[in-house]
Amino acid sequence: MRWIRALSAETGEGADTLGGKALGLALLHRLGLRTPAGFVVTTDACRAFLRDGRLPDGLHDELAAAVAGLERATGRAFGGPRQPLAVSVRSGASVSMPGMMSTILNLGLTTGATAGLAAETGDPAFAEDSRQRLLSSLAAATTDDGSVPDDANRQLELAIEAVFSSWDAPRARAYRAVHDLPHDLGTAAIVQPMVFGNRDDHSGTGVAFSRDPNTGENAPYGEVLFGHQGEDVVSGASMTRPLCALAHREPVVWTELRDALSRIEGHYRDACYVEFTYQSGELWLLQVRPGRFVGAAAVRLATELVDERAIGRDEALRRVSAEHLKHVRTPRIASSEETRVLARGVGACPGVAVGRVATTPERAVRMARDTPVVLVRPETSPHDMHGLVAAAGIVTARGGPASHAAVVARAMGKPAVVGAAELAFDSDTGTVTADGLSLDDALVTIDGTSGEVALGRPRVVADQAGGHLHRLLVWADDISGDHSERSDSQRLAAAHAALAPRGDT
Amino acid sequence: MNNPPEEEANMYTPETRTPDAALLALHALRCVGAASTARLHGVTGLDESDLASELIDLGAAGLVTRFPGEPPCWALTDAGRVADAERIAHELDSAGARGAVEAAFGRFLVLNPELLDLCRAWQLRDVDGGVSANDHRDPAYDARVLDRFADLDRRAASVCTELSAALPRFGRYRLRLADALDRAAAGELEYVTDDLASYHTVWAELHEDLLATLGKQR
Repeated sequence: MRWIRALSAETGEGADTLGGKALGLALLHRLGLRTPAGFVVTTDACRAFLRDGRLPDGLHDELAAAVAGLERATGRAFGGPRQPLAVSVRSGASVSMPGMMSTILNLGLTTGATAGLAAETGDPAFAEDSRQRLLSSLAAATTDDGSVPDDANRQLELAIEAVFSSWDAPRARAYRAVHDLPHDLGTAAIVQPMVFGNRDDHSGTGVAFSRDPNTGENAPYGEVLFGHQGEDVVSGASMTRPLCALAHREPVVWTELRDALSRIEGHYRDACYVEFTYQSGELWLLQVRPGRFVGAAAVRLATELVDERAIGRDEALRRVSAEHLKHVRTPRIASSEETRVLARGVGACPGVAVGRVATTPERAVRMARDTPVVLVRPETSPHDMHGLVAAAGIVTARGGPASHAAVVARAMGKPAVVGAAELAFDSDTGTVTADGLSLDDALVTIDGTSGEVALGRPRVVADQAGGHLHRLLVWADDISGDHSERSDSQRLAAAHAALAPRGDT
Repeated sequence: MNNPPEEEANMYTPETRTPDAALLALHALRCVGAASTARLHGVTGLDESDLASELIDLGAAGLVTRFPGEPPCWALTDAGRVADAERIAHELDSAGARGAVEAAFGRFLVLNPELLDLCRAWQLRDVDGGVSANDHRDPAYDARVLDRFADLDRRAASVCTELSAALPRFGRYRLRLADALDRAAAGELEYVTDDLASYHTVWAELHEDLLATLGKQR
């Protein structure tokens, strides 16, 4: 085929044509891990679409053949009234553009197929929920206001057009311009049968790191959302649970996930990140990449991988950059069983702040005359400005790292946590609760790196990677041959300089 | 309150004040939160002395309160918030501008995520797989980000034009956004996200103004 490649262990082309996500899926196939069959519409097709304003000649027939292949592989019928097949279409470029591109789930759920899915599962609410997600996500991703066609093949083509078009969305163009990335690469579109995390009580979805990206500790870390589909985790629209909750609720899935993480680590010789969904107790992996740890976590990871004989000392030193070293001494809440974490969001400005909770800017200003204050808001607006100025730290329940609160917190250099969805605000009384506790006036500590909001005054450390960093820098001195008194960054830089001529061994 | 007005009947004295100056001052506080008269001057373009007398009148009417400090700040009371909502809706509907402002708000919301992305890019850089504060030591990077701000600003300008055609008071945002970008381009980097007159701050105030004007929640 000219425009389409099957996803399998044999998928051989590079990221230029297939995009990074498809290469990850091919790796999962090679490692024998369960990932849905699927195919990739190449970046060539995307470039042709962006040039001509329509999908290229021949793609229509290739799509029909590729979908027929998925129907054979799954024993289901795309858009069919019995045993209907539904698919996802996801973007996957050769360059990472986090959150910029479209994903559309549940394609093929026509009215007939939705009725078929309801009959097959005996769960009309599940089938209707899935169809509504399709209608809203496809409507959101297509610019013209035409209604969603009740034809599975047409839905699929519309979704591929939407994913291709998202390459040229203003936000995506701005991202590339800022990061000096070329505009002519295009994205691939990955088509896979749906795995339904919203299927039943034994279904769910989540993201997992093989180790803790905050500390580097060798213990799986992530979030899981029971009974939901994947976009809910990423969007933060629903309440996620710490990954370890899976161990109690779905022990078989948990064991299989741990085994998968360990095999992927063995391949990368590095920590890894996966996105997964399990349907009726069966685990499927939907995306994989290296963990990309930073700061203290990168130092601990590199050192422990040497201890585990996964990599050598030279490689460990290469993996720790000067940039990582800069972040090693950012204060953090020490990880401890005794720390009561009330809520978890996204760290938006690094550092630790300790203070009493104020839930309005006026209270923050008043309280800040006597004691440090943490301003806790559903989200912030210009109205909160004087409260933001008065506060030592900022927490919001909604919004991501580019929200108003995050931008202002960084402008003021104040530790901030955004999107801490477990915070519950009572709009009548203006009070906030988390983990069953009223937070007004409570003393809390927030960690703007990990996104933790903890009760009281837990131990804070500024040399989290202490012992690991010490060992790594001893190796650095051994390689540079210079054992004189110097700063950490000078010791690392000397090792990097000594390693450079040796190439990638 | 230090200087109560001598007579409440003096609240709107047309020969000495802009007729809608009271509403401009009231609504500015609705959009920017607590603010000094100097800051309100920047927001509304009204003279500080005019603002001071409007605020004193509004204070006597129970719509704003004054917080001591250096400088002292003014903020809306609950009654002031209610009064602003009524008066600003009345202004919108008397001008027959609701449809035009709704349409412009729709276009603003399309631009809003891009603005926030650019603010993030201005403050943070993706380095070695992680995220680092932008230390502004790479002029080429900063120039690329500012270039995108300028591009976004051209599209924002047409939204601002529609808004000020519908309601002249929106004209201030065009001036303030352009001023912030000019200063940033001239090397005053705090006018991108950090200053109280930065592009991000003015943009967020415009967002709040549109929500307040249309009576919408976030």
